[in-house]
Amino acid sequence: MSGAGMSGVWRIPAALAVLSIFGLAAAILGDGVWDWLCWATLSVPLAVCAVKLWRQWPGRPAV
Amino acid sequence: MTPASLRGWRLVHRWTSLICSANLLILCVTGLILVFHHEIQHLMGEELDSSYTEGQARLPLQSLVDIAQKADPALVPKMLSFDAEDKAVNYIYLGKPEESGFDLGRWVVLNGFTGANQMLKQPEETLVGFLLKLHVDLFTGFAGQMFVGVMGLLFVVSTVSGLVVYGPFMKKLAFGILRFGRGTRIGNIDLHNLFGVATLVWAFVVGLTGAILSFSPLITGYWQKTELAAMTARHPEPMTGSMVSIDRVAAAGLAAFPGKDLAFIAYPGNEYAGSRHFSVIVRGHTELTQRLLSVALVDAETGVVAEAAGTPWYMTVLMLSGPFHFGDYGGLPLQIIWALFTIVTGAVTVTGFVVWLKRPRSRSAADRNASGAKLGSKA
Repeated sequence: MSGAGMSGVWRIPAALAVLSIFGLAAAILGDGVWDWLCWATLSVPLAVCAVKLWRQWPGRPAV
Repeated sequence: MTPASLRGWRLVHRWTSLICSANLLILCVTGLILVFHHEIQHLMGEELDSSYTEGQARLPLQSLVDIAQKADPALVPKMLSFDAEDKAVNYIYLGKPEESGFDLGRWVVLNGFTGANQMLKQPEETLVGFLLKLHVDLFTGFAGQMFVGVMGLLFVVSTVSGLVVYGPFMKKLAFGILRFGRGTRIGNIDLHNLFGVATLVWAFVVGLTGAILSFSPLITGYWQKTELAAMTARHPEPMTGSMVSIDRVAAAGLAAFPGKDLAFIAYPGNEYAGSRHFSVIVRGHTELTQRLLSVALVDAETGVVAEAAGTPWYMTVLMLSGPFHFGDYGGLPLQIIWALFTIVTGAVTVTGFVVWLKRPRSRSAADRNASGAKLGSKA
């Protein structure tokens, strides 16, 4: 379990976690641009799920 | 991590998840609909009457109390509650004169501008009320609410333990790999890992705030029995004369906290007030500060503020748990995002359960899997 190997495992999950925390906090701090920041950042984890599912759906040609 | 501690974390993840999974599915399905409760109440015609014309003056609080009391002269006002979002909606609790709690009387909802009285329907009579009751306490009252709170805590442990076992499992796998051609178990493991890790922070926050909200009767009860009780105990004078008007009390409380709005007013004799003092509880009006409460004790006979204080950190945590559980602090787009996260969390629950159902039955099969593709003891 080397440090380099594990950091590869955590790179994307950590990025999604940071975006989620920022997004959850943003809309409580203010309205207007803060709401937009919240919507944009919180959508990323959902979009990642959707894209991974779409690309690897059975029967789709490999990309 | 040693193999033994990893095995321990896998056991924790398996059992916390399995125990809360049935309740979690109920919470996901009802929660998914409740995210849009305003919209549904509007569609069903179940929303409260909060209409008023622009520039119309609010009715004095005393006249609202009088309207409420007229419907049931045997009861007396005990508590006023003001909606943070909709300033036309005022709740008034009427109780038996000797009552200090909230068991024997009833809540009346009044439009603060028109005085229109609207009976609160029983929760079972409205769709949103029914779903909310199922979500909060499974129709079993306080005990059910505590049960759901414990399930929420198990869910929080399940998300954390899931994160711990994710790392070693994914060491040789690319992020987001979905091996649909490799059988039910592996396909579900991959979906569970991707969906679970991508939505982990949201699920952790919504699970934890949900558990905190479940325990809200204990948390507010603790505050009432400690800090608030100590505050009222410093002003033990009994009532001797007559009360000033509720509007003077409200004005005195608001004057102690300039720029704040009314949240609650508890009458003397109520468990949230003194023997002769009203509790006027106020909040701010931004998304953040409307969750920060402060309280002023106002002498019912003189209308003078006897003492003013903030509320302790755990009350702020409880109040802030609301928006982070309901997702109601960022408009309709955030509600939709909340609903999508709820669907993904439901998928994580189902795929995790399938992985457990399809677990290798015999020890030798588990050993083969563990030594081969490292899938043996995932769930």
